[in-house]
Amino acid sequence: MTRPLSIVSLLPELLGTNGDAANARVLAQRARWAGADATVVEVRSAADLPDQVDAVVVGSGSDSDMVRARDILATMTTELRTWATAGVPILLVGTGWELLSWGIELADGSVVEGLGIVAGRAVPMPARATDDIVVASRFGRLIGFENHRRSYVGGEAAPLGQVLSGSGNGAGAEGLVMGSVVGTHLHGPVLAKNPGLADHLLRAALARIGHEYLPGDDSLAADEMARAARNQIAVRLGLPME
Amino acid sequence: MRYAPAILLGRIVRKLARWRKPGGGSAIPGLVVNRIAPGFLPRSLNSFPGGLVIVTGSSGKSTTTKMLVAALRAHGTVVFTNQSTANISQGLTSALLEQASLSGHIAGDIAVLEMDEGHGALISGTLTPRVVALTNVMVDQIDRFHDSNMVAAMLAKIAARATGTVVVNADDQYLTDLAARLPVSSAVARYGVSADVLADNPRGLGYSATTATRLDAGEGMLLTSVQGRRATVSIAGVDYPLGLPARGTHYAVDALTALCTAQAALGDRFDPVLAINAISAIPPVFGRGEIVTVRGQQVEFVLVQNPASFQLNVDSLEPKTEQILIAIGSDVRDPSYFWPVNTSGLGRVRIASGSKAHDIALQLVYDDVVVDRIEPNLGLALDDFLALPEPLAGLKTIIFSADSMRRTRTHLGLVTNKEEQE
Ligand SMILES: [Zn+2]
Repeated sequence: MTRPLSIVSLLPELLGTNGDAANARVLAQRARWAGADATVVEVRSAADLPDQVDAVVVGSGSDSDMVRARDILATMTTELRTWATAGVPILLVGTGWELLSWGIELADGSVVEGLGIVAGRAVPMPARATDDIVVASRFGRLIGFENHRRSYVGGEAAPLGQVLSGSGNGAGAEGLVMGSVVGTHLHGPVLAKNPGLADHLLRAALARIGHEYLPGDDSLAADEMARAARNQIAVRLGLPME
Repeated sequence: MRYAPAILLGRIVRKLARWRKPGGGSAIPGLVVNRIAPGFLPRSLNSFPGGLVIVTGSSGKSTTTKMLVAALRAHGTVVFTNQSTANISQGLTSALLEQASLSGHIAGDIAVLEMDEGHGALISGTLTPRVVALTNVMVDQIDRFHDSNMVAAMLAKIAARATGTVVVNADDQYLTDLAARLPVSSAVARYGVSADVLADNPRGLGYSATTATRLDAGEGMLLTSVQGRRATVSIAGVDYPLGLPARGTHYAVDALTALCTAQAALGDRFDPVLAINAISAIPPVFGRGEIVTVRGQQVEFVLVQNPASFQLNVDSLEPKTEQILIAIGSDVRDPSYFWPVNTSGLGRVRIASGSKAHDIALQLVYDDVVVDRIEPNLGLALDDFLALPEPLAGLKTIIFSADSMRRTRTHLGLVTNKEEQE
């Protein structure tokens, strides 16, 4: 390993309401468990951006901070576009995902323009979705928690998976996958709870700098805890255990 | 005698409610009286000779109110206050009914009310408090349908009712902005922590937004040091030592708020030594750094109610504490809740327990905390934890969510303090 893996957490305070920023911590820790050095770089403005970026995490925030967060993210539009094109894994959660889309329609009919980096836009739902969510995806069955009042349209071509329980994007699908960019409503520690998705992103990050990823021993213990936590929810929802 | 029929009826309803369900039904008489005599509550609260003091804000209200009442009583003031969590209008009216004469007069010099920011805005339109004390603006997941601006707007409504002084936490940006928009007729009293105290809390004090600069000694009361359960406050340039009911900067800030509010309420009669001695004499708080003797050994209980208090409690644990049990229960609906907290300071946890045992253990291992065992059965976890040999350093420490606290106390046969369950 020539240099530590550099994992960027974008606007960890403005876009970290639900602990989503912790996903950067999770990627770094899994990298370390696999024997790769890794650091989390918290970026609050374009001036904080490191020279090398190997993975990016953007979380969700409150609607009152949305425009402020968008205005800061907009100063990094070129970088975000470059990373997405170059295959740098980018995890977008909730508001962070919405802000990188074409835009966000609000309940009063106004629109917050997005950065236009991923396809689709967020539109108001009749009622807030707040519950456990289960998604069948090619990274395994994902289980998490959703809390949002907008659905997502225009990303139907490439969802993250199909909803088994919960609301997701609003029409049976959940999330968005565009190359190395993954958008999801599963907030909080989605990567800790679903190591299949974490390892997909980490494998991509390491492959870009010529390294193969083999999960470390410590991650096996953590993944067992995650499996138990997921099974608890699956049982409550009447779904089969893993 | 305007309210005599309502008061009499309220008392009858109270008797009936207790007869049906001993110890219960406390809000029902208030509901009845509020329905037939809606003026009773505001008129009674506005009629104290020393006026009404309202304590409100996102966090620290109960502790601050308790300390303020102790400080006022130490000055010989007779205080009416809303004990327990009767901080909604029915509960308040019921509490007032207990003490009202038939003319509606309530013995006492001053009323001190703890008010939830939401309820406060609801009933404060009819109240004319002399002093309003604002603790802070914090938004956590319990409150996540409220954003900081909404909370600040509700507090501004309450503050706007003050006829005398608004007491403001100068470290809180939302409250500082709020104070700047008050009418010029309002007096503002400020309190804040010193730069050193803030530096000792590298992750801040949990406020939604912290001001960039610290208060000067000439601008208000200062908290100048916190060490365990000892703190120092600076009042008009004089340093006073202060004892706290539990370890942690947030308790010291609560005490500072109480002192600043007592001064605003008492004016020239305020004696810092009397107030500080009364606050220092408050017994340790249940469930938040409370030390109890269980099965012949001392155990420390730490209640975490939101990410901010979790972080402050992790950061203020006695260094080298080596025997920790952590129990998170079903009251934490969404396990994402605690992930903003950096738990690495715990080092090693002997048992993770509660119905969210796997979730909290998962967070701990990602923070490099060693987790010896996951035991979702809390009773079993407690028995095995208490059976461990005496720790080499620190006390056996149990960190729990509110639900796990109740279950722990029940399992260990300890009484539950209703006042502390918010
Ligand atoms: Zn309380």
